[in-house]
Order: sequence, then structure tokens, then C-alpha cells
Amino acid sequence: MKHYLLQKLFSLFLVLFGISLAAFVLGILTPGNPAELALSKGGYSPTPEQIKEIEIEMGLDVPYPVQYVKWLNRVLHGDLGTSYASSRPVRQELIERIPITLKLGSCAMVVTCINGILIGCIAAAFRGKGIDKIVQLGINISLSLPAFWFALLLILFFSESLGWLPTSGNGGIRFLIMPTTVLALPASATAARLMRSSLLAEFGKPYYLAAIARGTNRFEQIIKNALPNAIVPVIALMGNTLGGLLGGSVIVETIFALPGIGSYAIEAIYGRDYPALQGYVLVTGCVYVLVSLLVDGISLLLDPKVRVGRRRL
Amino acid sequence: MSLRIYIRVVSLGNIQEVAKNNCSLNIRGGKEAMKFLRKNLLKSIMASIMVLIMLLGSIGCNKTNVNNNASKEAAEQTQKPAESNEPQVDNDTEIVLAGYRNLAPGEKDGYYCSKILYVWEPLITQDENAAPIPCLAESWEMSEDGTRWTFNLRQGVQFHDGTDFNADAVIANFDRMKMGIKKSSFYPLDIDSHYPNLTGYEKTGEYQICLTFSVPSPTQLYNMVNFGSAIFSPTGFDEEGNFKGIVQGTGPFKMKENVLNEYVLLERNEDYYGEKAKAKTMRIKVIPDADTRFSALKAGEIMGVIDLNAIPAALAVELEGSEDFALTTTKSTMIRFLAVNGTTFPFNDVRMRQALSLALDRNMLTDELYYGFATPTTNILNYATPFYKEIPVNENMEQAKALAQEVLGDEKITVTYLYNSGEATQKAEAELISSWLSEIGINCELQPMEMATMKEEMKKGEYGLARLQQGLSNSEPATIFRRFMLTSGDHNQNYVLGYQSDEVDELMAKASEALDMTVRTECYNRIQEISTKELPVIPLFNDTTLMAYSTKLTGYEAKLYGIELPQVTWSE
Repeated sequence: MKHYLLQKLFSLFLVLFGISLAAFVLGILTPGNPAELALSKGGYSPTPEQIKEIEIEMGLDVPYPVQYVKWLNRVLHGDLGTSYASSRPVRQELIERIPITLKLGSCAMVVTCINGILIGCIAAAFRGKGIDKIVQLGINISLSLPAFWFALLLILFFSESLGWLPTSGNGGIRFLIMPTTVLALPASATAARLMRSSLLAEFGKPYYLAAIARGTNRFEQIIKNALPNAIVPVIALMGNTLGGLLGGSVIVETIFALPGIGSYAIEAIYGRDYPALQGYVLVTGCVYVLVSLLVDGISLLLDPKVRVGRRRL
Repeated sequence: MSLRIYIRVVSLGNIQEVAKNNCSLNIRGGKEAMKFLRKNLLKSIMASIMVLIMLLGSIGCNKTNVNNNASKEAAEQTQKPAESNEPQVDNDTEIVLAGYRNLAPGEKDGYYCSKILYVWEPLITQDENAAPIPCLAESWEMSEDGTRWTFNLRQGVQFHDGTDFNADAVIANFDRMKMGIKKSSFYPLDIDSHYPNLTGYEKTGEYQICLTFSVPSPTQLYNMVNFGSAIFSPTGFDEEGNFKGIVQGTGPFKMKENVLNEYVLLERNEDYYGEKAKAKTMRIKVIPDADTRFSALKAGEIMGVIDLNAIPAALAVELEGSEDFALTTTKSTMIRFLAVNGTTFPFNDVRMRQALSLALDRNMLTDELYYGFATPTTNILNYATPFYKEIPVNENMEQAKALAQEVLGDEKITVTYLYNSGEATQKAEAELISSWLSEIGINCELQPMEMATMKEEMKKGEYGLARLQQGLSNSEPATIFRRFMLTSGDHNQNYVLGYQSDEVDELMAKASEALDMTVRTECYNRIQEISTKELPVIPLFNDTTLMAYSTKLTGYEAKLYGIELPQVTWSE
């Protein structure tokens, strides 16, 4: 276990280094000078001297490898640099925005877990029946709905027409209902589909047939026997989904005026704000690796085969 | 058996009913059981939906919690008249407005917040026709040779932090500007741009300052309106010239709270020297998405939309004729145009640029795509400046075809048309324009691009046409002419316009030396005429500033830059 954790920790550093380098390289390959963009607000056109002055202020006057090493050095000292666009510390900006994304992502995850597992179980239990067909149709519709369209539809109905929910903003649980629904809908559909197919795969296995032969009722057969085995791939999927949700959703954050890290990343891309982008990449990279660590841990607990396999290794 | 289990799994929330069904189903046959199952399933689903609706309904009953605590009162007030038909509005109730961006980016921004919040004031502002008018500077005087400007400052004014406004405060602001260019979300704070050729500034009295220039600067006032002469409390700057905490200005509103990317809370400045703001508190929220802003307005969460891009024309037309909402419009300082690569065939030939301009049905473009909220033009100068000369817009497809024929002969050519992928309307616009251009022998290859990438492509000259826009940072037209029409102009160079005119160079030189405004105006008029004939770029239309508000408010009037916020209040 200790060896496993150390291995994961090592891979975390490798992943973070790799993605931060990739983000940096992609950033410098993208056309557009950050110093010029920062000064081009309101139709203003800066002079070459002014661009040079801001380039020095931003630290863009040195070669690219030096820029990256300097940034890396600062990161190792806990400093994520200063945003080119806002001139504020990236760490501070991320600290302000992460809780919003975390709140939204967590709510969406809870909804996804409940809906995905429940609907998947129902569809599997009623395989081939009317309810299964309805669920399948629902899943297909949920996966096909464009998030922006669904979000606007919810706003139109629940805020504009009925006046039940606020259209946008960062606040209590009422402000989270619609964004959570939009985020959770496709994720729930994917989870439900996987849950269903995973359960159906378990239904034909000998242990399941043995459970039927023992005379257990259908509920026990599914919940106690098939579900613990069928849920392992669903948990792995949830892990990826959680990583995605915590990385922020640009569309949902923009439509519902939630200043999370997803919209931060997009603003950083448009403004060629490399420090902000690097900070975002580091945070989301950490989230992905930690979530995958968590998922592995849960799989270890749930699936004895994984435990045995690791011991042998 | 299996049917019983099915029901158990499905109707988890209705155990008693399941038990009842189990008993019943044991004694029933196949078809009957299925019928029963469907019926019960339906019941369970209906029950679940009812519970959900009741839950949502109970939440919905408490409508005033839609906004946060501060806007709660506003929501209550806006609900009351509709319910009781007794319009009793407390004028001290908070007014909530929204814009698409952060209007107070904070301490690191050169201005901390936008002028439209009325927290800080400039020395000189502008009237409806963009002519300079006094604000913190009561009067001014130019020396005979035009190199020295003396400004007499308003007396009895205090910043929000209690510091006196006087010549020392103004000099401290100039010292700050001298530290170097400061980035801003609005316009960069750049002393060289607002005070070109400035050689010195000095205090010549307790309430008087003097600016000295190396060359005659008769139009200096136009350069320094609004953002050009913003004045802040000198105690609010740190060593680097950044703000320490919330901005302290002299305006009719004080900034009480600034939650970045969420909202700004403004409070009436009770010690304001002039007419006090009518509203006691205002909350300006950030709602980036236009559709969401529109819904928030219709739902009564916000009372109006402000700032640039407040409401798209397509949504604004939905509010026309409504009793609950109204629109307010004014001239915008933004002009939309097509940049042409004038260094290569065919647009290096002026006849081809003229053909292109004549082929465009600008009225149709503005009517169909912008619902009439735009004004067609062929003049490079925006219509919001007092130096604007009205020149008729010509559209003549036959003439365009003839001119194109002279240049292209019977050939058809293909050009790359770049447009901003971030603006949905630009795609429709590009398709419409390319359909007209196909009639004069130009096939357009439409390429959507992100703006920064597009400008890089243009710099390299790898384009034929590109859809751009230009804001007017101040009313002095020389800036625009210089950038687009002088051989060394930055836009002329960066957009590879390839425009060169000895006459324009001479007129610009003449205008810069002219102390007599009549002579200067004549020069500018002539340059505008040249611009419509020689077309360094192909102007399309001037934008219209468009804002919407609830009729529960009064005094909501669009200005050249923002709205007259201090005049906004609840209707009686």
C-alpha cells in the first residue's frame, strides 16, 4: 500500500510537470502577444515601446525556457505567479474561484451518483420492458441536449415564467439547482447507461444464478449480489466525471454567472494569460490525479481481485 | 414473483403500496398483473412528480429570496405594486442592475472601476455631442501659442475618504500617471496617449494647475475627457501607483463593497458637492451571458442592463411595445468595418475597394441583422464625435460591377474573409456580404477566428478581407485618421492596409499646427471626404448603444458612455 501511494505520488509530479509544460508550449505557440493584448483594451493600440515596457513587467523579455524555469521555481516556492490580465496573484484568484466550482461540482456529483446508479438499476431490472425503453430514450435525449440550450430552457421555465428559482448568481442552494441539473444531466445519463450494461453483464454469471437458485428475492439478487460487482466500472467513470466537473464547466459557469475556474481558464486563453492558465492546469491536474487515487482506493475496498493482485505484485 | 420485485425496485418511496400490490399480484394472472403493474407504476411516477412539484412550489412561494439579502427588499418592492395595485415604492430600496463584465476590476486596474459607476470623476467630461464640458475643472484657458493650458479647479470638493480635492491632489494623479502605462479593462492609463507632447505639469495655485506642451495642442481638451483626466484620492495609492483598498473618488456614488466577478455595491455620497444621486444604493451585478441577463430582467431580479453589449438587438426587439420594460438608445462610439489587404491584388486598386463598398447594401444589413439598431456609414470617423461629417452612403450594384470589371476583367477571384468566431452575428453578416461580393466577381472563403489569432494573420498579410471594429477613445478625430490613414499609422501597418495619400499627410500636418479650430475642422472634413472615396477600410455601420430597463425605474437614459446613474430612481 505504501509502495502504491508513493508510486501514485511520483506519477502526480510527473503528470503535473508534463501538463504544465504542455500548456506552456501550447501557449507560446498560439498567436498573440500577451503584453499587446493586455494593452489593447477599448480599441487602444500600444506603441512598440509600451509593449516592451509591459513585456519586461510581465517577464516576457527573456527566452521561453528561462520563462518556464522561472515559473517552475516560483511554483516550488508556493507562488503561482501574477496574472497578466488582472495583475493579481494567480493563487489568490484561484482561491477565490475554486470554492464556487467545488460547490457546483460536488452537488452535480451527488446528483449524478444517485441518478446514475438508481436509474441504471431500474433499467437493468426492467430489461426489455417499457420502463427500460423509456430510460434508454431518456438517456439518449439527455446525452443529446446541448448544455447551453438546456440551461436557457430551465431559466426560461423556472425563473422567467414561474419565478421559482434565481436566474443566476452565486448564493445558497437555490442558486445551485439549475446549474447542478445542467451539469448532472449528461453525466447521470452516461453513468446510468454504464450501470445498466454492467448490471446486465453480471446477471448471467454463475454466482448470480446461484443466488437465484438459493431463492433470494430479486431485490437481494440485484442490490446485494450483482451491484457490488457491477458498480466498480461505474465508480471509475464517476472518478473521471468528478475530475471533469471540478475542472469547471465554462458553459454552465458563464450562463449562470458563477465565477468558477472554468470561466477563469477561458478568460486566460483569450488574454494569453499564461500564469493564469498554468495555475489552472496545475489545479485541475492535481484534482484529476487525486480523484483517480481516490477511485483506486475505493476499487481496492470493493473489489477483492484488485487487492489480491496488488499483494501478488 | 419477478413482477413483485420489479415493483419493489421502482417504487422505493411507496413501501406500503408495494406490499399491497405484492399480495394482489400473487393471486392474479399474467395480463392482469401487467395491467396492475402499469397502473401502479404510473401511480408511483405521478406521486413522485407531485412531490417534486410541491417541493419546488414550496421553494417558489418564497419569491423574495431569489436575490441575496441586499436585493431582497428590491424584489419585495417590485412585487408589491402588481399584487396590491398601490404603487408604494420606497426610494431608498436598492436598485439592482447588471452588465456583462466586471465594472470594478479592482486595485490593479489603472482606474479601479469604470467611469459609468460615477465613483470617480474626471477634470473634464463631455456633453451629448461629445464636446468637452467642466467637471472637476471648472474652467480652463489656452495660451496664445497653444502650448500651455491652465485649469481652474472646483473648490469645496472632498474625496470619499475626506481628503480635500485641490491642485496637490491633481498633481499627485499626474505623478502616478508618469510612473508608466497602467493596464486597465477599459482603456490603458497612459499619459502619452491622453497628454501627447506633455513636457510639464505644475501647481500654479491652491486650485489651479498648468500643463505645458512641446507643440501647440488646441484640441487637448478632447484628449483628456473622462478616462483621460480621472482623479482619485492621493491617499489611495501605494508606492507603485496601484490602489490601496477600495477606490476613493469624488463622485455622487461611493463604493461600499466590491466582490470581484459578482457585484459592486454603490452607496449615495451624501456629501457630494453637486446634485446628489437619487438612489440610495445600487448593486451592479456581473451576468456575462446576454440571454441570462435578459431573463433576469424579465424575472424582475434586475431592473436594468448597462454597459457595452447590454442587450443584443435581437432580444431588445422582444421588449418593444411592452408596458413593463423600455429601451433607451444613443450613439455608440464603436464603428464596424471591413479591413482590406491593400498591399495585394485586387484591393491594392482603389476601384476594387470602391466596387466593394458600392456592392454592399448596408441598410439591409443593419435592418435585417441588427434590427435597425445601427447606422450605415462609409465614413471612417465615428458619428459620436462633434467633428463627424455626414456623407451620404451610396449603394449601386451596377456601378460596382462596372468598376470590378475594369479591375478583374472577366475573371473571378477568391479572397479570404476573416471574422471573429466569438460573435455569432458576424457569421451571418459574412455570408450576406459574400453573397453580394459574388455578384462583382469576388468569392469569399469565410474563416472564423479568435480575435488575437486573426490580428496575427492580418499582420502577416494572409487575408483579403477582415471584419473588425474600432472604438473612439476620445473625441479628437486625429487619432483615428492617424492610425488608419497616415502611412506610418499603426492600424495601417498592422492590418496591412497599404494606404498612402500625400494629401492626407499634408492635411494632418496642417491640422496639427492649426490653432484656429475652423481651419482644423476644414482639414478634418476634407480627410473624411477622402476616406469615403479612397476607402483605406470599408466602413459598414456605426453601432447604437442600446439598454433596457424596467419601467419601475425612471431617469434611465443612455449616454455616450453608460447611463446617467445618479438620475436613476424608482418611479413614483
